[in-house]
Amino acid sequence: MFVLKRLGSALPTLFAVSLLVFLFVDLIPGDPAQILAGPTASNEEIESIRKFLGLNEPLLTRYGQFLRGIWDPSAATSFRTHRPVVVELSERLPNTLIVSIGGLALGLVVGTIAGIVCAMRPGGLADAAITVLTLAGISMPIYWLGLLCIWLFAVNLGWLPAAGASTPAHFVLPILVIATRPAAMFSRLVATSLLESMGKDYLDTARAKGLSETRVVLFHALRNSLIAAVSVAGVQFGGMLGGSVVTETVFGIPGVGRLLVDAVSRADYPVIQYAILMFAFFFVIINLVTDLLTQWLDPRTRDQERAI
Amino acid sequence: MRNLRRSCHVAALSAGVSIMALQVQAQPAGTLRIAVGADPATFDPAFNDLPVGNAVDLAVMEGLFRLDPQNNVQKNLATDYAFSPDGKVFTVKIRTGRKFSNGDPLNAEAVAASFNRMLDEKTGSIYRGLYASLGTIKAVGEDTVEFHLAEPNGHILMLLSNTAASIVNVKALQAMGAEYGRKPVGSGPYMVEKFIGGEGFRLVPNPSYSGDYPATLKAIDFTVVPEDGSRMALLETGSVDVVERVPPESMPAINALKDAKVINPPSMFSINMEMVLRGPLADPRVRKALNLAIDREGITKGILGGLGTPSVGMVGPGTQDELRKTFPPISFDPEGAKKLIAEAGYKPGQLTLSFTCPTGRYIKDSQVCQALAGSFENIGIKATPLVVDRGTWTKVVGMEPAQRSDNMGMVGRATAGMDYTLYRLFFTGVGANRTGYTNPRVDALLKEGRAATDPAKQKEIYGEIQNIVWSDQPFLFLWYQTQALGVANRVQGLAIQPNETLVFDKVTLK
Repeated sequence: MFVLKRLGSALPTLFAVSLLVFLFVDLIPGDPAQILAGPTASNEEIESIRKFLGLNEPLLTRYGQFLRGIWDPSAATSFRTHRPVVVELSERLPNTLIVSIGGLALGLVVGTIAGIVCAMRPGGLADAAITVLTLAGISMPIYWLGLLCIWLFAVNLGWLPAAGASTPAHFVLPILVIATRPAAMFSRLVATSLLESMGKDYLDTARAKGLSETRVVLFHALRNSLIAAVSVAGVQFGGMLGGSVVTETVFGIPGVGRLLVDAVSRADYPVIQYAILMFAFFFVIINLVTDLLTQWLDPRTRDQERAI
Repeated sequence: MRNLRRSCHVAALSAGVSIMALQVQAQPAGTLRIAVGADPATFDPAFNDLPVGNAVDLAVMEGLFRLDPQNNVQKNLATDYAFSPDGKVFTVKIRTGRKFSNGDPLNAEAVAASFNRMLDEKTGSIYRGLYASLGTIKAVGEDTVEFHLAEPNGHILMLLSNTAASIVNVKALQAMGAEYGRKPVGSGPYMVEKFIGGEGFRLVPNPSYSGDYPATLKAIDFTVVPEDGSRMALLETGSVDVVERVPPESMPAINALKDAKVINPPSMFSINMEMVLRGPLADPRVRKALNLAIDREGITKGILGGLGTPSVGMVGPGTQDELRKTFPPISFDPEGAKKLIAEAGYKPGQLTLSFTCPTGRYIKDSQVCQALAGSFENIGIKATPLVVDRGTWTKVVGMEPAQRSDNMGMVGRATAGMDYTLYRLFFTGVGANRTGYTNPRVDALLKEGRAATDPAKQKEIYGEIQNIVWSDQPFLFLWYQTQALGVANRVQGLAIQPNETLVFDKVTLK
């Protein structure tokens, strides 16, 4: 029921996004017909291309066409390739998902472990080292870190390929780079939240039962700390999809992010519009999944939901 | 004696035959790996607008004519050609017995269908306007194609040798739809084996090719890497053999490599500030002053890192060199410029100019824009550089002169044809004349030049046009770009046309 209700409320959101995306993309400076025709084209040539692309139709007609494209792939084709946008997106999406999910998963694992280490020995050497690394991880721009990794691991050490996406090895560096930020964030989050719950009564009960400190932390305290981490992970994943633009450009990965950058620079309206709509759809789904996970981890939220 | 002569003939003939046989038998060998910066969306010649697409089209398809690495026109499918006495019909004889890579015959009918498809409004080709003068194309028998021209055009060979005029297999295209753009069916020495959008594509020899430029490589692998640093890293690690668009700052690092070097072939790409000829810039003295205020040597060496040469003519090298005219370099003379500004009636600080530049479209474009502002300030002009994104820049430089609120825009131009470049930029009132330039003498000459078919006459006409434009200075002439490619030492025989098209005719790998 809850899922259905949430899905129901997502539809108006998506509709609003579709309208905004359509209007905003239309406001991007630069006329697609003019960009396609090149700087030396005459007005008549530009006009003829505009007509071919259907850009001379009224705004409402074009919006209707855009909505139709959501279920009819033949109504939504790229200005540049003339292929259905859904085909273009589906070819690129796996690469984006591999990097985003891989990066988030790695970040979550590394961050949680680092957080636990910090919480077990606060103020120790490991805590200090992790804090410094965390700060660096949060502050370093992905772009710069990416180039640095290419320089070190590809050019100097020759361990990994510099750019491309043809083998699994090509994904190692991008996933490592994109994992830094969530890893740093989760380690702080888990550490703080663990430290907070360390003094709670229910842990004393666990300790009184004779469990070792490690078991207490891993099986009792961590579950509560993860609640916060899960809701942050949802937002982080959304951010990673957005951040894929930078990672994919640096590492030459053919993903949706790069498709979007290309589409913006060439004013390929349909690709921009449907790609953004797809990202919006993902955000809605991720929010939903995050909420469900939080409920599962924290029974209190379920009760609140029932009370409402 | 006669017998001896005959046996000599026979021996010579058989030697010749065996040499030819050896050439024929030379098997394609090795894989050439190339990293390109731009992502080709389509190889369909009616829509492709990237040099990497041109390179693929040149390798995968054939045209009636083609350009050699120096941009000279050569026959390709054509064996002979002629104008009708009234100049209205252009007839081309083509080789017979040729086939597309899927086995379809490449005859006169296929050629006519290819051109008529490009010129059809429903196709929506971005080149329809450029080729409109070709009129209607008809096949006469198996081996003759007639162009019933919409207007006399003495530059038809130039048009037909462009890769946009490559012969596509219309039958296959209709069956494949938009996918044809990824795996075009042509009759060239190579064919596209695979295409992974955004990642790369691979060319392999076309077994049915029987022309003059047989494949020398077993495969040509292209990888698309937009980020300069990552692309250079691929050459540095030996993962690729050729990288295009080496940025100036990476040149020393690549030249220091043991196995690769930077090559700098000339480019026809000519970068200028195109002036809006109204207000202060309607005055030729102000235009001249601006041209004198620029230190072109300083810009090309200091900012472009040597990837440019100062402009000495309207169009870049390789733009029909037989018709191209060059002039002595414009001197760097700020004092002379100040005098001219004073003569035009402006006190120091009184004249205000703004100009629009793209960012990331040309090498160091925004930095040059700042430098130009400094040069103008230096001669007492208040200058405002407007560095904008690509979309805004396209919009601004594409506006009618009357709508513009700035005074100049940075634009790079590269077209193989003299007529195409000059007519569109300087004929009064044509849609692409964004400066508002008008000169009755130039108009008359441009018309005359377009219709002239005699090369000597063309040279005379275009010489005069270039003279007038160079002295009228509707542009702030800046530089001709220089190409920079990183090429591994094992690559032999790679040629690059001035329009940045890679030519694989003679490439071998050591």
